[in-house]
Amino acid sequence: MRQTTFDPISLEIHWRRLVSMVDEASAAFVRTSFSTLVREANDFAVLLTDPQGRSIAQSSASIPSFIGTLPATVKHLTAKFPVHTLQPGDVMITNDPWMGAGHIHDVSTVTPIFHRRKLVAFAGVVSHMPDIGGRIRNAGNREIFEEGLQIPRLMLMRAGEPDAALIGMIERNVRVPDQTLGDIFAQVAAGRMLEERLRPLLDDVDLDALSAEIRRRSEAGMRKAIRAVPDGVYHGHSEHDGFEEPIHIRCAVTVKGDRLSIDYTGSSAQVPRAVNVVPIYAFAYSAYAVKAVLCHEIPNNEGSFVPITTSAPLGSIFNPRYPAASGGRSMVGQLSVPAIMMALSKVLPERVIAEGASNSSITLTGMDRGRRFAAVNFMNAGQGAAQHRDGYTMLSFPSNLSNTPIEIFEQSAPVRVVDRSIRRGSGGAGRYRGGDGLHFEIEAVGDSPMMASMIMTRYRSAPLGLFGGEPGKPGGLFLNGKAIDPAEHWMLKTGDRVVMQTAGGGGFGRRRTKRRRK
Amino acid sequence: MRIAVDIGGTFTDGIAVVSPGDRIWVGKTLTTPHAPGEAVTTVTADLLRQVAAARATRPEVDEVVHGTTLVTNTLIERKGARTGLIVTKGARDVLAMGREWRYDMYDLNLEIPRALVPDERIIEVEERLDARGGVVQRLEAAAIRRMLDKLAALQVEAVAVCLLHAYVNDAHERQIEAAIRKRFPQLAISVSSGVAREIREYERMSTSVCNAYVQPLTADYLGNLGERVRELAPRAKLRIMLSSGGFTSGQAAAENPVLLLESGPAGGVLSALNAARNNGIHEVLAFDMGGTTAKACVAVGGEPLIAHSFECSRVSRFKRGSGLPVLIPSIDLIEIGAGGGSIAHINDLGLLNVGPESSGAVPGPACYGLGGTDATVTDADLALGYLNAENFLGGTMALRTDLADAALGRLAKKLKMSVPSVAWGIVGIVNGNMTAAARVHIAEKGHDPRNFTMVATGGAGPLHAVDVARNLRIPRVLAPIAAGAGSCLGLLAAPARVDRSWSSPALVSETDWPAVARSVATLREDAEAELASAGARQTGLKWFIGAEMRYAGQGHNVSVTLPATKITAAFAPQLVREFERRYKQLYGSLVPGAHPQVMTWRLTGRSDIVNRRFQWGDQRAGGASSARGRRSIYLPLEKKFRAVPVHDRYSLKRGTRIAGPLILEERESTLVVAVDARVNVLDDHSVLIEIREFE
Repeated sequence: MRQTTFDPISLEIHWRRLVSMVDEASAAFVRTSFSTLVREANDFAVLLTDPQGRSIAQSSASIPSFIGTLPATVKHLTAKFPVHTLQPGDVMITNDPWMGAGHIHDVSTVTPIFHRRKLVAFAGVVSHMPDIGGRIRNAGNREIFEEGLQIPRLMLMRAGEPDAALIGMIERNVRVPDQTLGDIFAQVAAGRMLEERLRPLLDDVDLDALSAEIRRRSEAGMRKAIRAVPDGVYHGHSEHDGFEEPIHIRCAVTVKGDRLSIDYTGSSAQVPRAVNVVPIYAFAYSAYAVKAVLCHEIPNNEGSFVPITTSAPLGSIFNPRYPAASGGRSMVGQLSVPAIMMALSKVLPERVIAEGASNSSITLTGMDRGRRFAAVNFMNAGQGAAQHRDGYTMLSFPSNLSNTPIEIFEQSAPVRVVDRSIRRGSGGAGRYRGGDGLHFEIEAVGDSPMMASMIMTRYRSAPLGLFGGEPGKPGGLFLNGKAIDPAEHWMLKTGDRVVMQTAGGGGFGRRRTKRRRK
Repeated sequence: MRIAVDIGGTFTDGIAVVSPGDRIWVGKTLTTPHAPGEAVTTVTADLLRQVAAARATRPEVDEVVHGTTLVTNTLIERKGARTGLIVTKGARDVLAMGREWRYDMYDLNLEIPRALVPDERIIEVEERLDARGGVVQRLEAAAIRRMLDKLAALQVEAVAVCLLHAYVNDAHERQIEAAIRKRFPQLAISVSSGVAREIREYERMSTSVCNAYVQPLTADYLGNLGERVRELAPRAKLRIMLSSGGFTSGQAAAENPVLLLESGPAGGVLSALNAARNNGIHEVLAFDMGGTTAKACVAVGGEPLIAHSFECSRVSRFKRGSGLPVLIPSIDLIEIGAGGGSIAHINDLGLLNVGPESSGAVPGPACYGLGGTDATVTDADLALGYLNAENFLGGTMALRTDLADAALGRLAKKLKMSVPSVAWGIVGIVNGNMTAAARVHIAEKGHDPRNFTMVATGGAGPLHAVDVARNLRIPRVLAPIAAGAGSCLGLLAAPARVDRSWSSPALVSETDWPAVARSVATLREDAEAELASAGARQTGLKWFIGAEMRYAGQGHNVSVTLPATKITAAFAPQLVREFERRYKQLYGSLVPGAHPQVMTWRLTGRSDIVNRRFQWGDQRAGGASSARGRRSIYLPLEKKFRAVPVHDRYSLKRGTRIAGPLILEERESTLVVAVDARVNVLDDHSVLIEIREFE
């Protein structure tokens, strides 16, 4: 007989089982992935949903950008391919930014799971592809058409048979077809693994009843945490470097009883550059900020996030119209985190941190000694201070991206890292100092010129301090000593030197007159 | 005669084995943290007395094999040497920056592990190699002089050297090493290309620094130990157990002490495998559970899997990434739980949780009566009847059932449940957690648990093994003898072993095979010398070539191991076949059109593994009547308490066959069989439990 009611003990046991299955599938996926972003930055998620697309368990290692995105993808896909038409061996696919995870580089696949010939769940996987065609990812791209191949809602496989036409299309439109297709089929394998692992559990318990109980408990936990925050409307803001002019992020956080809503009205309008943030992505980082500040122990599933809503008017940078480009959506979207922290600092000063900077990167492509290469190097920055401690020097936040080892970078592209050191003194002063950013200097040493595309964060807009703490130093980008624009693609000749500096974090509290010894 | 001594946190255990016959004597004394050698002397002297009394002569000791947690503890407590670090110009902050990711994504205030060498003790030196090992900037004599002057001012006791791309060309590191040895002959020195010749500067640097940091202390300790051993047994050679599951000479261990990090736990696994081999069991999940930790390890074909990176000195025990990385070969053990001391509590969502907090030895579980008030796994075991309050540690420590019930009662009240259901809840959850972690571990290695036998060791291992095995659908559990001193038996069953590695990333199709062959030959010569110093005979040696492989473009490796053979281009298809076999086993299918690549090569040499059929030296086995009566225990499948037979384990004769549910008691542990099962006492006094449900 299958279990349909759960006490605080059996629920804990079955829930852990579910999470460990999802984590196992996600570990196998990460190890086989060709995408640097999947491996070094956990830029992927594996999810189990019920037949309605409500999430039951999500991989623990995934970065915050996927909170709530895959359940929405499942719902969009089943709207096109109704549940009763699906059969074992089917796999659905899309990379529509509005239905997926916010830019076309993230491809999602969803596999129906059957038990005793009944569809009982979906396994969903989304991940950043090694390549999706188009121009190299850069904030300067102006429309989605430049960014690469768009995959609408389609069937990747029917009853176990891959769609040859679709695969042929993908193959022709990306730079490294074996790697992109390798990752898409690794997603399918992860979905299958999840189905296999789930089977014994399905014999023991009623998954619908279990998932309802998980959602109920998680939702109650989040509501309890919100109720502890005083009711009110709290305002916060942040700023992105922008292009011709800065992009403003403004949020109003409304706490009312056990509900919390965040409205981005007043933020800049969408821009013809690749930094627009679709609503689902705005929600993901907003929900992350709320969870990190209020209750970081609460599990990752749909129930936890029911009491949280986000909104922005159509045409806003947080709710752009098609065909807005969004390849660099994280640059603006992640700024919702410090904006929300600033808003909540008025009532929860001991829980928040001052602004820091998210990651920057440089992508190099070209030919060297007769062979094509493509290499990406990630750089983190200084983070903001808190009420009782200095900010972290050189740590990834709010995403979670490892740096690229010098030795690996030099193996994969004809460059020499001249200097990779802490940019001492770049953190903002204050009662507690912001963390320091990075000084990164490379020299091109290949036998022919190569193309460089940089993503820079906080090179104009300094990360702000809180409660009188001073801002951190903004970053900088230089080619042979001259400041250059990261929205352009640059050609590097042998001997050219690029310096990338990342920002320091903001300080917390007014600096005391006597210098505090570290 | 050979002697094994293992220094643990609380006890120092020793076993003497006399051949032929592999008869064993066991000794135990409290660990002496201020001077660990003292406990070694005490135990060794005690063992010599026992053997002499039994045989009326004083037998000669040939070898003392030693396992220790000294290196681990030095790193955890940060009590190592004042250490300096020499790096390539431009790379001075590699250690401070680490890999820059957060081991907990949602904790805004996580603690970052502090580097072992602070900024002011890092010296940059002007030199540079490229990724192929070519010299971009020469290391000039003047640069070496400046470096030495700075080093002189630092007043360090140890120094690590880690230069960029030294995994492919070690010339500059060796030049610096020679210069330092000449000017500061007393300084401990650790060179990255010697300690961990692998790509990725942070991990290699961290390994070299950890090694330097523990070198002076370990050298003193091993020197002192050598003297003590010579006093008691003048002809005995000192051998040291490594994390890899082999032993080496005292001298080699003193040079690379970082290889000793997991020396104790490795012994536990080897002991489990020895018992498995004796009974013809080839697919094993070694399960070891003690008071503060539970570990699991997969071993197929009698040999444990080896992992090549490890993390020590974590600031958050169960969080990967919160420690210092070290690139050393170690038996691939995973920590699956916090052991019998794990504390039960109610979380934010109103659910019962167990661990990761542990009550430790003091105050310990509530039932110890030492002031602990939190309900732990041990308290639950007692309330369920699995532990005997009067016979804990052979009756030397009485357990307080009333205190256990009171602690459980507090949780029961909050959860509005009965005490027995909360007690079973705690055991069910902790077993469930260990099951989940072990299941993932087995699956990650590409195996099916239904073919496995679990081998249970540690004080709490036999208590929980059968239920965890049942959850994993593992049909058989083997409980070897002397669970309490298990790692010593492992030390005695271990082979001599040497591992060497070097990173040389290249596609298989473009590999320079003569260069690989040359590297193998050089390293083999060096490895042979070390094996000889560890007493291994040339003729009985086994050699293996390993490769860390992937499809070009991926970031994770699949480990491939083949018996050593002549390396020519003809080796390529063999290597690719083995890679594809492993890849399929792990991930289901290959990647069409992708190119196999080798990142790191490995060479392993070890002496032959000999099965040891250990028997009690004293006549404790096979005594009088075994039945000790009956006790009421909780049977999870029936969801109720029932009286079951209790036996004295070592009174059961070989070949005994009885049926579970039942309890077997021994001095240091209790074997709980709470389901229908066949229980067989085997020839070596191991007990095999076959769960009926899976027949």
